[in-house]
Amino acid sequence: MDRAATLAAPTGTVEVDARPPPSPPPAAVLDDEVEYARFTRWLPTEGGQRTAESSLRIGGMHCTACATTIEQALRRVDGVIDAHVSAAAQCATVQWQVARTRPSALVSAIERAGYSAAPDTAAGARALRRKESRDALWRLFVAGFCAMQVMMLATPSYVSSAGALAPDLKQLLDWGSWLLTLPVMLFAAAPFFTGAWRSLRAGRIGMDVPAALGMLVAFIASSGAAFDPGGLFGHEVYFDSLTMFVSFLLGGRYLEMRSRHRAEASLEASIARLPEIALRENADGSVSPVSVLRLQRGDVVRVPVGQAFCADGVLTQGRTRADESLLSGESAPVDKAVGDVVVAGSLNLGAPVAMRVERVGADTRYEAIVAMMREARRQRPSVQHGADRWAAPFLWAVLLLAAGAAAVWSTIDPSRAVWVAVSVLIVTCPCALSLAAPSALLSSATAMARDGVMLRHIEAIEGLARMQTLFLDKTGTLTQAQGQGVQMIRIDHGPRWSAAALRGTAASLAAWSTHPLAQALAKENEGSGAAWRDLAETPGQGMQGRAIDGSVWRLGKPPATHAAANEAGDVETWLSCDGAPVACFHFAETLRADAVAAVRALEHDGVRIALVSGDTPARVERIGRLLGITDRRGGMTPQDKLAAVREAQARGERVAMLGDGINDAPVLAQADTSLAMGEGAQIARAQADGVLVSNALHDVVQARALAKKTLRVVHQNFVWAAAYNAACVPLALLGWLPPWAAGLGMATSSLVVVLNSLRLAR
Amino acid sequence: MEVNTQTAPSVNYTDGPVRGFALAAVVWGVVGMLVGVIIAALLAFPDLTYGIPWLSYGRLRPLHTNAVIFAFGGCALMATSLHVVQRTCQVPLFLPKLAGFVFWGWQLVIVAAAITLPLGITQGKEYAELEWPIDLLIAVVWVAYAIVFFGTIGMRKVRHIYVANWFFGSFIIAVALLHIVNSAAMPVSLWKSYSAYAGVQDAMVQWWYGHNAVGFFLTAGFLGMMYYYIPKQAERPVYSYRLSIVHFWALIFTYMWAGPHHLHYTALPDWAQSVGMVFSLVLLAPSWGGMINGMMTLSGAWHKLRDDPILKFLIVALSFYGMSTFEGPMMSIKTVNSLSHYTDWGIAHVHSGSLGWVGLISMGSLYYLIPRMFGRKEMYSVPAINLHFWIATLGIVLYIAAMWIAGVMQGLMWRALNADGTLVYTFVESVKATWPFYVVRLIGGLLYLGGMLVMAWNVVMTVRSGRALPSPIPRLALA
Amino acid sequence: MDILYLLIPLSAVLVLGILGVFAWALHGGQFDDLEQHGEQILEASTDSLDTHQRG
Repeated sequence: MDRAATLAAPTGTVEVDARPPPSPPPAAVLDDEVEYARFTRWLPTEGGQRTAESSLRIGGMHCTACATTIEQALRRVDGVIDAHVSAAAQCATVQWQVARTRPSALVSAIERAGYSAAPDTAAGARALRRKESRDALWRLFVAGFCAMQVMMLATPSYVSSAGALAPDLKQLLDWGSWLLTLPVMLFAAAPFFTGAWRSLRAGRIGMDVPAALGMLVAFIASSGAAFDPGGLFGHEVYFDSLTMFVSFLLGGRYLEMRSRHRAEASLEASIARLPEIALRENADGSVSPVSVLRLQRGDVVRVPVGQAFCADGVLTQGRTRADESLLSGESAPVDKAVGDVVVAGSLNLGAPVAMRVERVGADTRYEAIVAMMREARRQRPSVQHGADRWAAPFLWAVLLLAAGAAAVWSTIDPSRAVWVAVSVLIVTCPCALSLAAPSALLSSATAMARDGVMLRHIEAIEGLARMQTLFLDKTGTLTQAQGQGVQMIRIDHGPRWSAAALRGTAASLAAWSTHPLAQALAKENEGSGAAWRDLAETPGQGMQGRAIDGSVWRLGKPPATHAAANEAGDVETWLSCDGAPVACFHFAETLRADAVAAVRALEHDGVRIALVSGDTPARVERIGRLLGITDRRGGMTPQDKLAAVREAQARGERVAMLGDGINDAPVLAQADTSLAMGEGAQIARAQADGVLVSNALHDVVQARALAKKTLRVVHQNFVWAAAYNAACVPLALLGWLPPWAAGLGMATSSLVVVLNSLRLAR
Repeated sequence: MEVNTQTAPSVNYTDGPVRGFALAAVVWGVVGMLVGVIIAALLAFPDLTYGIPWLSYGRLRPLHTNAVIFAFGGCALMATSLHVVQRTCQVPLFLPKLAGFVFWGWQLVIVAAAITLPLGITQGKEYAELEWPIDLLIAVVWVAYAIVFFGTIGMRKVRHIYVANWFFGSFIIAVALLHIVNSAAMPVSLWKSYSAYAGVQDAMVQWWYGHNAVGFFLTAGFLGMMYYYIPKQAERPVYSYRLSIVHFWALIFTYMWAGPHHLHYTALPDWAQSVGMVFSLVLLAPSWGGMINGMMTLSGAWHKLRDDPILKFLIVALSFYGMSTFEGPMMSIKTVNSLSHYTDWGIAHVHSGSLGWVGLISMGSLYYLIPRMFGRKEMYSVPAINLHFWIATLGIVLYIAAMWIAGVMQGLMWRALNADGTLVYTFVESVKATWPFYVVRLIGGLLYLGGMLVMAWNVVMTVRSGRALPSPIPRLALA
Repeated sequence: MDILYLLIPLSAVLVLGILGVFAWALHGGQFDDLEQHGEQILEASTDSLDTHQRG
């Protein structure tokens, strides 16, 4: 797997997509305006010419001079106004005239220069992050710069001996400090005030409230002291403390934002979607690829097996089974015949079919569900719920303590009352509590992404750490999906078909299936190119189709009569014609190299491994013994697997599942935590909480170790936040913590949490 | 190089002023250093100029400082800044005729200084001795310079403004501000005026100006030079471009308040002196960040130093920069300053910074620039560059070693007390003790001047054997 | 130290000016993609070479 590009600056804010860009879609789709709108924005028309600005991801850049080469190549394209290539982010922004050129021309120009290019649909999100980063940096700069200047103006007061500083001069210095604090209060610290206001309006005390209150009180009291030194606020000003702790707080937030951005970028990469292509049937029966966005009501679209239905509609040709678990929660596949309604987003499991489009885009139920899922993803993981429950009462306590301290001190030493209260407000740090879990989870997710496990749901980290039982599929998960070499044994030695013809027929039938063995077979042999009708695939059983001459071919499990003969040997798949076995294909099944070590490591770590497979019990037995897995069950249908998971869950076990095939999809959804193999079917990858992009089982072991470490870090963060508050609040109450120290403490506390979490990202 | 002239005639860079300033820098360098050698000789041999007033120490010293800082340093900065801003923005100069005015105006300022200072016409403020009419001319020329420089940036074809331009830009603005504030004066006749400030207030303004003149004129400006010519000569990018940006802003943050360290133990209030001390120390960090960034540019290519004398100039200049920016903060500590103030240690510090940093970086940059301004890839004689380097370095070492020893010795002698509290040494005794070091310093200065003469010869030969050719701006940039 | 009545307001104005310049630079994208700009100056120079040189 391509790790982060070496071009990224070591401390940079740039984001790099860890994978090389996939090949671009065909020109017809790329140049479709509806499609390229996804990575293009419109610029004000220049002199009557419509101008567009497109973002492309570039692959193959190995040095920063490449950026200039690509820019020049793009500028030479007729119709291109300007091009800017970022070496660090590996993307290009091109401004072009709609009337004179098209996106496919831009891609071709880049390819001719020796690089690859694909649409950059994440450009919008990246631009938003860049804006957020700039705004945060700007606020931080204003705060820091002004704090520095205020510190200079405050230094005379610190270094002068009593009486050496003339009062009017001191006043000048104080006024200067006040002036330079204004930008900090009005602009740099604004997020604290708006955050506090929003939470108060929602009727709760948010974590910005004490901070904002502290800043406000400090500013008002210092202003009073500056402009009326003899008045009730005394003559000591604390503008330097105020600006410094605003700077520290903003610094902490900036670092946290940077780590969040990095995590978001890498997570986004794992689910960034290329233009989806639908195979639209034309009037003459041919099929053309079009952008999904182009579909209209009434179009007829072909849907291969293993793909999601791209729109709501009605089946017009073929019979199949659809997995609608995404929508209905019902994991058992639903039969679909001609005339039945199919739902966008559901998965075509059985056979290639054709459908008529009824509803597209945002109108589909799928989009509605995705929106719901996105909302659900924003929910906090359970580790965070604990912290949230504490936050509100904690903040109330802080406010009461501050008020109480002010009251008590006003009887002891009134001039200090205000400052003690300010210190109490500032020093307490609920932000550490709220940062504790998210910062750790995000850092961890980033590290996992780098190490081969892309998480779609961050809660999976908790699941990985806490899993007690791991269900593993055999074929494709523990074993290599590609066979080492496929050996054909003829059963029928008649003259009807040659060996080559048999291989070809098997291969072309196998090409319709996404089963790992079928894929291996299709790869090893040239397909005969035969056209198949009435294709049907039964998960766990095999693939069936009718050839042009009417004969029905089946590729899959051996017929019952031969089943007993080869149970424990090599994996086989049988080809039969009209019910009679014709040939048998042997696959030498190999264990993945790291399977044994991974299983041992997980068991050593306290995870119970269960092997559930649709393959023959004898073979599963053999593999199970090789791996040292005691709980091994073969001959399982998808329903059996599902039942096994449910049974374990009923016993109170936290279950995780690692699978790859189509038939694993409902099981993956049922498990508490699910991982799909990177080489696995799209369906499995779409359902799982995470994808093992490296396909290395060892990475699961590492991910679990990291997940456990993450939970430990979260715990450490909470402990730190609690201990810090427990120590500092009394100090502030006793008047031993001047405001500047309080500000330093608060920022340091948050920074400690963020830095502790960043350890996970190394 | 073939230039595509199909669609539009190619535009050339405006190199006339650049050439002019580059050559002027060499000329004024020789002049300024010569005056320096004369006054160094006068300190050892006071009767050398037979008491002629306009060759007296008191009048020649400001001529020396003005010539080396504003004539030599100023022309070098103007040459390089106008060269760099065009090349990095890929446009010719904004208002080329105004650039011509800047050149001639600046030469007029220098000539006016060369005439008035030996005549004893002075405002008496260090590095700001020139009287009010010349101050006005400086202001006008400087504003013109700013217009040309910033106008060129405004017209740039490259969106990103290269870091060197930030240093140049800040130097231009800071010097304008400093000059105008510090030179505020009430004229009473054509060649006489009184400062707008008086007493200790004037001292504060003067040293606010004086230190920031060092900070922006002699540091920020030349850092701009460094950030362009070192990568170009070494053919490697700056070690960390990000660090160079951070370096710039960090320097800007802290420079303004270091001035008071020139006024320790004077009538300036104690607390003001302390402020100056604290922020002088703070300055150490950003300065060294820049030095490391420049030096590490050669990381992985240190072998180039062996054979390339221009790189020797540039990199050794940086090490003197590091040394001076460490020594300075140390000297601004009050206790250290109580020894060093008014002694020749101050002279040592100034000259390690000026001969070591400013001088060498200018020479290295001019050695890069001048041949290219005359259609050549290299100077007429590369061995002569090498010779210059070694003579100059030897000169610097002799100079500052002599002055360090003299300075510490003076400080110790001045504060040596008898048991009954009386001074051990008379002032004259310390002067006599310093004399041998003055001689050594003179030798150092002569060597440095000698090196400069070698450079002058090399430049003359280069110009004679080269041709001033137009430099076209790259076509693609105009797309 | 009455001179501070000049110097301090002056430095305050200067601070506001510097903030303005930084804002302009930041929002103008001057701080994006920094490392490649270090290399930009090294691209081929077009300084003309005189082919008829003596010595």
